[in-house]
Amino acid sequence: MNNLHYLGAAIGLGMIVIGAALGIGRFAAAAAESIARQPAAADKITGAVNLPLFLLEGVAILAEVFVLLIVLLK
Amino acid sequence: MFVQEVQEHAEHAVDAASGAAEKFNAGKTIIEHVSNNQAHPIFHLPKIAGIDFSVTKHVFMLWLVAAFVFVVVTWAVRRYLKQDRLVPSGFMNALEGVVEFVRDGIVLPNVGKKWVNTWTPLIVTFFIFIFCANMIGLIPVFDLLGLLDHYVFHTSEHSFLKSILHGGTTATANYNVTAALATITFGAIIVAGTKAHGFVKHWMNLVPHGLAWPIYILLIPIEVMGMFVRPFALTMRLAANMTGGHIAILAILSFVFLFTEMFGHALAGIGVGVAVSVPLSVGISALEIIVVLVQAYVFTLLTAVFIGMAIHVHH
Repeated sequence: MNNLHYLGAAIGLGMIVIGAALGIGRFAAAAAESIARQPAAADKITGAVNLPLFLLEGVAILAEVFVLLIVLLK
Repeated sequence: MFVQEVQEHAEHAVDAASGAAEKFNAGKTIIEHVSNNQAHPIFHLPKIAGIDFSVTKHVFMLWLVAAFVFVVVTWAVRRYLKQDRLVPSGFMNALEGVVEFVRDGIVLPNVGKKWVNTWTPLIVTFFIFIFCANMIGLIPVFDLLGLLDHYVFHTSEHSFLKSILHGGTTATANYNVTAALATITFGAIIVAGTKAHGFVKHWMNLVPHGLAWPIYILLIPIEVMGMFVRPFALTMRLAANMTGGHIAILAILSFVFLFTEMFGHALAGIGVGVAVSVPLSVGISALEIIVVLVQAYVFTLLTAVFIGMAIHVHH
């Protein structure tokens, strides 16, 4: 029972990956679809997608840092 | 990365030869390769007010990158300005390309026409510095130096060359460095808002006007927290991205030694290395080149966006 924190960290890491992958997948799908509909606006669409994408990535990375802290600071 | 692996082979061989019979500890080795080496500082300095001022590997890399960027950029620009006809050539072309990209692609859309020349210098500096600091972590200079030291120079245990071999090479993989960079962003946001709207108006702009008063009790703490969360997220994003890639590469390379130990035969490790570790780590290294660029871009883009948010208040 002493090593349960590893289990928690591993499950948490898996959930982070699921969440981030879902988010990024939806972004990519929406961006591809809208560029296909209106190729002329590709630049604007990429610009609009970039910022929330990085914010999403930031949340995922923060969660991963906290998971690492669970393992390291036990 | 190949060199790193060869060096680790060498280290492992030395361990085995000296009869240390120590088991290969992947976690410890990896952390030692990516983290700062506070145990082996390059110059030992005393503690002042509880803060250790010793020059460690990351500090050394930070200075190296800063000096490199300063010298190269200054030299290129000086040489360009000395010409009779101001036509850029060679390296100056690339530098102008970067500056133009940052100005027109990052700063202008976010900060706006009026303030673009005020904030482009800061953001270009961020971009070039972070990019160089990230990139130097991908070049195995110190692993090559370690190999040379091991087989050619044979310097003593406490030489300068030995002391710079410990620890990770990417200065931006240390969250202290990125926290300092994000602190500059934090200050720049306040300065931008103050310059555009005046000191008092900038702080009033944090929350929207004309709401019922009970909402402000909730809104003001959230906005103040958001002010600190944004640089914190910048800090963690850059540091964690830089550390993560290195850890992934080293973890894959450590399969070689884990398999050697598991089967008790060097052939098993070499087989896994040739079949799995080296191709995979080459792939991740290629991915890392993209990550290095993207993270420099992300940091500068978010800085520009936050500065723009302080200037153009949307409430």
